[in-house]
Amino acid sequence: MTQGVAGELQRLRTSARERIEAATDQKALEGLRVSLLGKKGELTTILRQLGGLPASDRAAAGAEANQLKDEIFQWIADRMGGLEAKRHTALGETEWLDLTFVPNPVRRGHLHPLTLILREVKAIFSRLGYEVALGPQMEDEFHNFEALNIPQDHPARDTMDSFYVEADDLLLRTHTSPVQIRFMQSHTPPIRIIAPGAVYRRDATDPSHGSQFYQVEGLVVDHDIRLSDLKGTIEYFARSLFGPERRIRIVGDHFPFTEPSIGAAVSCGICGGIGCRSCKGGWLEILGAGMVHPQVLRNGGIDPERYSGFAFGAGLDRLAMLKYNVTDLRLFLENDVRFLRQF
Amino acid sequence: MLISLNWLKEYVDITADVPALAERLTLAGNEVERIAQQEVDFDGVVVAEVKSLRPLPGSTKNQIAGVTTGGSMVEVVTGAWNIAVGNRVPYAIPGSRLGERRIETKTFLGVPSAGMLCSAIELGLGEDAASIMILDPGAILGEDLHALYPRDTILELEIKSNRPDLLCHLGIAREVGAIFNLPVHEPTIPKGRRSDVPDLVRIDAPDGCRRFVGCLITGITVAPSPPWMQARLRAAGVRPISNIVDITNYVMLESGQPMHAFDYQRLKGGRIVVRRARDGEELACLDGKTRRLTTQDMVVADTVRAQGLAGIIGGAESAVQVATTDIFLEAATWEPRSIRRTARMHGLRTEASSRFEKGLSPALSLPAVERAAALVAELARGRTTQSTDVYPVPLTPVTIELDGDRIERVLGVAVELADAAIILERLRFTVKRAGARLQVQPPPFRLDCSIPEDLVEEIGRVHGYDRVPSTLPGARMPVRDLFERRDADETAREVLAGRELDEAVTSSLVSAEGTPSVAMPSAAQPMVKVKNPMAENRDALRRSLLPGLLEALALNARQDQGAARLFELGSVFWKSAANAVEEPQALALAAHIPAGGADAAVAELRSLQATLATIRDRFAIPATDFKQAEFSSENPGVFAGFHPGRTGEVLDDGEPIGIVGEVHPQLLAQLGLPGRAVVAEVLFDRFSADGGRTPQARPLPRFPGVRRDLTVLIRGKIAAGDVLQVIRQQGGYTLRDISMVSEYQGPQLEAGARSLSFRLHYQADDRTLTNEEVATVQQRIIDGLKARFGAEVRS
Repeated sequence: MTQGVAGELQRLRTSARERIEAATDQKALEGLRVSLLGKKGELTTILRQLGGLPASDRAAAGAEANQLKDEIFQWIADRMGGLEAKRHTALGETEWLDLTFVPNPVRRGHLHPLTLILREVKAIFSRLGYEVALGPQMEDEFHNFEALNIPQDHPARDTMDSFYVEADDLLLRTHTSPVQIRFMQSHTPPIRIIAPGAVYRRDATDPSHGSQFYQVEGLVVDHDIRLSDLKGTIEYFARSLFGPERRIRIVGDHFPFTEPSIGAAVSCGICGGIGCRSCKGGWLEILGAGMVHPQVLRNGGIDPERYSGFAFGAGLDRLAMLKYNVTDLRLFLENDVRFLRQF
Repeated sequence: MLISLNWLKEYVDITADVPALAERLTLAGNEVERIAQQEVDFDGVVVAEVKSLRPLPGSTKNQIAGVTTGGSMVEVVTGAWNIAVGNRVPYAIPGSRLGERRIETKTFLGVPSAGMLCSAIELGLGEDAASIMILDPGAILGEDLHALYPRDTILELEIKSNRPDLLCHLGIAREVGAIFNLPVHEPTIPKGRRSDVPDLVRIDAPDGCRRFVGCLITGITVAPSPPWMQARLRAAGVRPISNIVDITNYVMLESGQPMHAFDYQRLKGGRIVVRRARDGEELACLDGKTRRLTTQDMVVADTVRAQGLAGIIGGAESAVQVATTDIFLEAATWEPRSIRRTARMHGLRTEASSRFEKGLSPALSLPAVERAAALVAELARGRTTQSTDVYPVPLTPVTIELDGDRIERVLGVAVELADAAIILERLRFTVKRAGARLQVQPPPFRLDCSIPEDLVEEIGRVHGYDRVPSTLPGARMPVRDLFERRDADETAREVLAGRELDEAVTSSLVSAEGTPSVAMPSAAQPMVKVKNPMAENRDALRRSLLPGLLEALALNARQDQGAARLFELGSVFWKSAANAVEEPQALALAAHIPAGGADAAVAELRSLQATLATIRDRFAIPATDFKQAEFSSENPGVFAGFHPGRTGEVLDDGEPIGIVGEVHPQLLAQLGLPGRAVVAEVLFDRFSADGGRTPQARPLPRFPGVRRDLTVLIRGKIAAGDVLQVIRQQGGYTLRDISMVSEYQGPQLEAGARSLSFRLHYQADDRTLTNEEVATVQQRIIDGLKARFGAEVRS
């Protein structure tokens, strides 16, 4: 009988080895593990016979069987590793995928360039501690004109020809400056705001004009605000928006609601400030500004002897045109997706 | 404003080169928009004297002139007959150049002509083509003509509206003098003969005319003005006409005061009446047009009829002509408002009106008349016989006190008081030093300065803003929060872009008649109309964003960009009760489905609903409910433009705040939009609950939950929303979440039937739910659904 068990173990060793070596994939090896070592497996079947052996033989045969079990485990593991290594080596051939193109790019929606430029402007001024203030687009004559030193028949009204609506005394605001008055009337200094929004003028439509466009206004009122603070603010703003290599030029200007009034230009990014077709002698005008006129402070309920302030107004569409190289203002309101999807 | 550099140099000795001059003028607020070289383009033209004249044998048209440039005499054939022996004339020698034209010795009927004598037009110095230009008798023989007529540089300046005093050469000269600290030589004006004859001018409308200075000059000879004057006028963009007209223009371009000359003999009654026009009064103007006037218009009239539109344009009847012998010169100061109104009403903007409407100082008019009278005496041999100056309320000079430290307080840069005083004096302010302050009187020709800040501006812009340092204001800012709304906008935009919608910005101005009435129901009210539209299709304000978005879809479809999906976040305008206008923020979505029919539209519509719910979810607003829109014949306008079977209202706390649905095919046809389109519009403030809620964390469940599926088969138009409501009611507190898994309608079901599958999630906080517990609740739901809808339910 001993002979019998030992012989069976010997035969199993030989056949197990052969079968394991012959297995060509993981699944076959898994199957072999079950048929050799499983509960009803071949080795288990042999082991069951051990109980019938004399005690003296039992130990040796048991040791023999256990050793075979370990060996089979090892052979399967080795064979498994060999197969993995071989598969890995062949991956470059068996699973080659062309990655030189994008078959179905994920479409995203695109935000409007006016939204994007406003975001940048807001981010810059929020770093300086400015709040965002909003005012109605439908304004009255007082806030849009009179409180800003633009009485009836003032020449400045020539450049701000307005749309009036059927409701009494209301017009579509021609600039964002009325928000200055509204904010001063409802707040006490220190004031530090930007006020973005749509404005309307009866201008003929061409590549750089439209009857609806967008501005962003700024207002700072506090003790001891000076023109140098305005200049520094413009510089910080313009260079944050267009790049630190740009230069700023401040020239004299005139607005009824600021005194002194200035205009600001940034050096042209195309020619570097030498002068080219896209700029005016190397400069691009970006905004008008000045120290808030004492009467305007008074109109906003602020004592000009105690406080001073500066204000500025920039065309958001103009900033977007300069920054994103848009050459025709009309594209902003046309909503051609071929335009929108460039942003 | 065109400024001749040659002319400017008469008043101020400019040492800077042209680019530097332009740069500094620009920095000081007088932007030089363009620098142009005047087109005087010749070489080799010299001064010659005519020594002899004889006919060209065989010709009746030409003669032979013997001319000398100082040496020997040469003969030149000329076709002009205006020259006489002794005249000094421009002579183009052989080898010279007139523009593109080379001048050589040429033979006329056998007589060689060594070059040619030139007319003004050939040199680009005048309009006269028929006669040889006669030079000043003092011109030096043989000298290059460029020495007499230097090539001019023209600066085109943009003058700010508060500075009409700068619309002239003297004004700019004063600016240059202040900027470069140079003296300005103002022309000396001889005091005219004062023989005030008040009867000569009567002012019937004093509210329109602040000052009227005039003088009568007799015995004049009308002729072309001298070449130097013509050259200056031309350089400044004004066409020379005759000596009298040119003098009035010259004085305006020198001093800024517009003038007019009348043929005195044509003035009926021999006097001037300044009055309002009579309603319907007609005036034939100098530009050849006859205008019908109203009582708003100021006129300068004789005793019978209007002879000029005050401060804007002269009348044809009394225009100065060749035969004119007596003239009446006018320099008045008109009320700017009245000029503005009249100029706008008649659509006529002239050199004069554009100055008057900015508010000229009355101080300019008297010197202007005196200067012009002196020029007339010199160039047209006239004699002033009468003059008048009607000036009822003279200007009161203002004195402005300027503290030395205010300059630094406003500008942020210290300017020495002495330097500030020099700048102001160069600008013709009168400055008195009083300790640490200046007492300053603006010059009489400037009306724009009244407060210390005005003076600081003068000092700042001339001193140079480039010398102001750059600082940032420091401040102790109060804590306020205005950012909530912005966050809501931006959050919504992010979600929308993530859902593959592109952002549109459409026009607020729309057509009152042509705009389709598709809108969210709360916007269904009359549009706010524009009183003075620029175009018929832009005569009202939008009350909804939907028409604009649909138009944008149509535009894109025409550009072969079908399937566009757009959204817009913006103001709409609603007329509110108290004659005021509300401006709520609306959010609208629109998607175009060019092909694929009803099923594709359903998918897109479901996608819009999901997008709306996603935004609300980002705002931590839990439920976005929809209610089927009830189309009825009683409210036909409310859901106009929407598909009657596929439209729902968006609810917030059970209240409608918007709409979502498919666009009615009839409207699509009207828009020219092929296929189908789905849209949504909500009141953004309500939809975002004013910025959204802050998510609040709950403890994680300690006991496992149980999932059960439920399929409900219903018949007819039973709303899933109602089914959900029954499930929720019957589910009780252990039913934590319901999601809809699928909706089916089709060949596997009987006609009109629909199956809805839900996944229900049960959970309790204090125990593990038993199967029996859940089964009881499920059965309750099933019974509820059967009872309410007669539904067949499988779980």
